[in-house]
Formats: sequence, structure tokens, C-alpha cells
Amino acid sequence: MKKTEIIYQNGDHKWIAIVRDPAKPDFLIDTNEYLVTHGGQGMLLDPGGLEIFPAVFSALATEFDPSAITGIFASHQDPDVISSLALWLEFNPEMRCHLSWMWSSFIPHFGGTAATFSPIPDEGMTILLAGLPLQAVPAHYLHSSGNFNLYDRSAKILFSGDVGAALLPAEQQGLFVEDFSTHIRHAEGFHRRWMGSNEAKRQWCERVSQLNIDMLCPQHGAIYRGEDVQRFINWFGSLQVGLLRT
Amino acid sequence: MTDQLPVTLRSEPKGAALDLLHIVRINEEIKAIVAVAFKINIMALNAIFLAKRAGTAARGFGVLSNELRSFSSQLRETMLALNGLIHGSVGEVSVLLQDSRYNGVLKSAVSIVPLNSRLSAVMARRDQRTVEYRGRLSKVRRALRSSVDDACRLVELGGVLAKSAKIEAAYGAGFSASLAQVSGEFDGVVEEIRVSLDTLRRSNFFKG
Ligand SMILES: [Fe+2]
Ligand SMILES: [Fe+2]
Repeated sequence: MKKTEIIYQNGDHKWIAIVRDPAKPDFLIDTNEYLVTHGGQGMLLDPGGLEIFPAVFSALATEFDPSAITGIFASHQDPDVISSLALWLEFNPEMRCHLSWMWSSFIPHFGGTAATFSPIPDEGMTILLAGLPLQAVPAHYLHSSGNFNLYDRSAKILFSGDVGAALLPAEQQGLFVEDFSTHIRHAEGFHRRWMGSNEAKRQWCERVSQLNIDMLCPQHGAIYRGEDVQRFINWFGSLQVGLLRT
Repeated sequence: MTDQLPVTLRSEPKGAALDLLHIVRINEEIKAIVAVAFKINIMALNAIFLAKRAGTAARGFGVLSNELRSFSSQLRETMLALNGLIHGSVGEVSVLLQDSRYNGVLKSAVSIVPLNSRLSAVMARRDQRTVEYRGRLSKVRRALRSSVDDACRLVELGGVLAKSAKIEAAYGAGFSASLAQVSGEFDGVVEEIRVSLDTLRRSNFFKG
């Protein structure tokens, strides 16, 4: 089973990280799922792959009633992000899935009906969770061509999907980045190869620099907090991406 | 542009998904009981202190408050065990839901190509695995049911203790009113747990 950790709480407005499954086979990339709760409702961000559904579901249930999850936010179309969709929908067929308009006819191959999907336009949009505004922030081409981050202004948390992802070694499994320079070595190869556009990256760095962020939460690896957030944005800003030396 | 999320569950899930919904409801109920059970520990301690202050005037109450204290720690242990079991059950049922999804997709392929021997062999293997999963689930189901029954029996005992404490409170001389209040609160909480456990026993999950 995965572990849960409450990374933010203000009354019933919470961010719960669902992380680090010791039983997960090594050939599956490790993923972080996040649950945002507010006003008795929950939204699950990048719910993960089909194979890890039992681990995510049972861990989540220790902290929050899964029947109160009304929405899913999928940063992009990858299998590690959203291939569990059909199972969440079997549990609650009324769940809405928010994702880029680009994928709203591709993702139904994993499951769902026309009513399931709430397509996000390229410029982003506000999604309300029991009145709490969550902003879908464009992060296109990083790495997917239709890609969004999710910003919670009142918690000052940015869910950054694959941006900020690190493939951590077994001995470095902390939930938060403790030593930036050691950590970032495990993020470099991933960002160089997976991120496709220097121009998109520059625009993203500019966009998120204007947000007030206490925690930057990626889908893989560890959470950046405090000064490490800007440190990451600066590091990413100066990294050459989209290069493949063959 | 904004988008409001839907609030209610309009259509109910079926099969393994329905089982998962039942187990989720039990899980929520148990979480609530566990929270209440922790309150009981503090109440029992208060009862002991109060009985000490009342001294000889509340000797009977003093004996009972010690019993209540040991009851509350037993209740805590039972609840922790129940908590562990329920997490295991949520895991088992979600595995079954995953399994039934795969089977559903494969079965529709088999219905279109019924004569493909390899596909049929895959289906047979999967059916066997489903039997295993179901076996595991019914084991967990039985363990959970018997653990809920144990908790019920324990809570019955707690109810008797709380009621006796209420009677003893009457002999507490000048402390009567406060002893009655403590034992009354205790009785109320035990009753709350008893009602919740009764609801759990009737859950459709145990009829599956
Ligand atoms: Fe991805
Ligand atoms: Fe990913």
C-alpha cells in the first residue's frame, strides 16, 4: 500500500500526497498522486496507472471518503497519469475528468463516456471544487503537447505534473527535496530528454514565476518547497531541453 | 471560463464496484468509531481522578472507573485491529474491481472470437485467478465480520459498566452530581459506538 501525507491543511481544505509504494514492481515508474479536498468534496490529480489502482485507492481511503471524490484532473494523456480512469469511473460513474481538449477523444480509449470529460482550452481555465478555485495553468510541450499544471492560489501549491519530476534512487525516497543540488542531478536527464521545447519552457518559467508558490509538487520524485521552488524554476530556465544525441 | 463539479452520485456502481462502495462506507464508519473510541480513554481517566477525589464516598465508583479504564484500552486495541482489517479489505476489493475490468474486456473479445483456443485459455486462467481473489476476499470478509462481532461484545460489556457506574454515582455523597455526569457521558459514548457497530453488522458487504 502507498503512504499518505497531508502536505497542507486549513480546515477541511487539504492537500494529501499519496506516495511511495514499497510493493510496487521496479519496472513501473513511481508516481505521486495528490488529492485536494474542500467543502466535503475531493479532486484527484493524476490518479495514476491501472496497475497501481488498488494501492492508490486503499491508501486514499485511510484519509478521505473516496465516494466524495467528484473530479479527476489529468495533467496529460500518459498511461502513468490516467490509465486507471475506467476503475475510478466504475466506482463512481459521475466523476468528471478535466484534461486538455486535445486528449478528450483519446482518453476515452481508457474508459468514460462523452459526459465524463471536461475539456480544458489551451489558455487554461478555473475549475471549482466546492467553491474553491483551482487554476489549470498551461504547460504545453512540457512534455505533452496538451499539458496543464494545477494551481491552488489559497494553498499556494502548484501541481506541476511531469515538470520537476525526478527519478530518485532507492536510498533517496524522502517526500521533500532536502538538498537541491543533490536532488536535481536525478531530474536533469529526464528534463533534457522528455521536455520538447526550449521556447515552451521559457514561457512556462515566466508564467509560474508570477505565481505565489510555497510548494511545487511533481508527479514523480520529491516536492520542492520554500526557496527550492524558485531555485528549480531558475535551473529549468537555463537548461537546454529537446536535445537528443544519437 | 469556469467549470463547477457535480455534487451527487447519481448512478450507483455494480458488481465489484458496488462491493467497493460498501467497503468504503464501512471504512468511513470505522474511522468515526475509532475517533470516538479515543475519546473514551480520556473519559475513563477523568472518572478515575474524580473517584480518587471523592475517596471513600465513591469506593464502588472507583472500582468501576478502573474497569472502565481497562475496557477503554481493550476497545482501543480492538479498534486498531479492525482498522488494519478494513484497510486490507479495501485493498482486496479494489484488486477484484481491477480484475473484473480486465475480465470484462477479455470476455467481450471471447464472445466475438469464441473459437480462439489461446484466448479461451487466457480466459480460463483469469477465471481461476478470479476464484482465488474471491476466496481471499471471503476470508477477509469473515475475519472482518468476526472482528466486528468481537467489538460488539466488548461494547455490550462497556454499556453494562457504564450503567453500573451511573447507579454507583448516586452513592457518591457530595460528588454525586459530577460522578453522574461522567458516567452519563461515558454511557452516551458507548451507546454511540454500539449503534454504529450495529449498522456495520447489517452492511450489504457481509451479505455478498
Ligand atoms: Fe508524462
Ligand atoms: Fe509522468
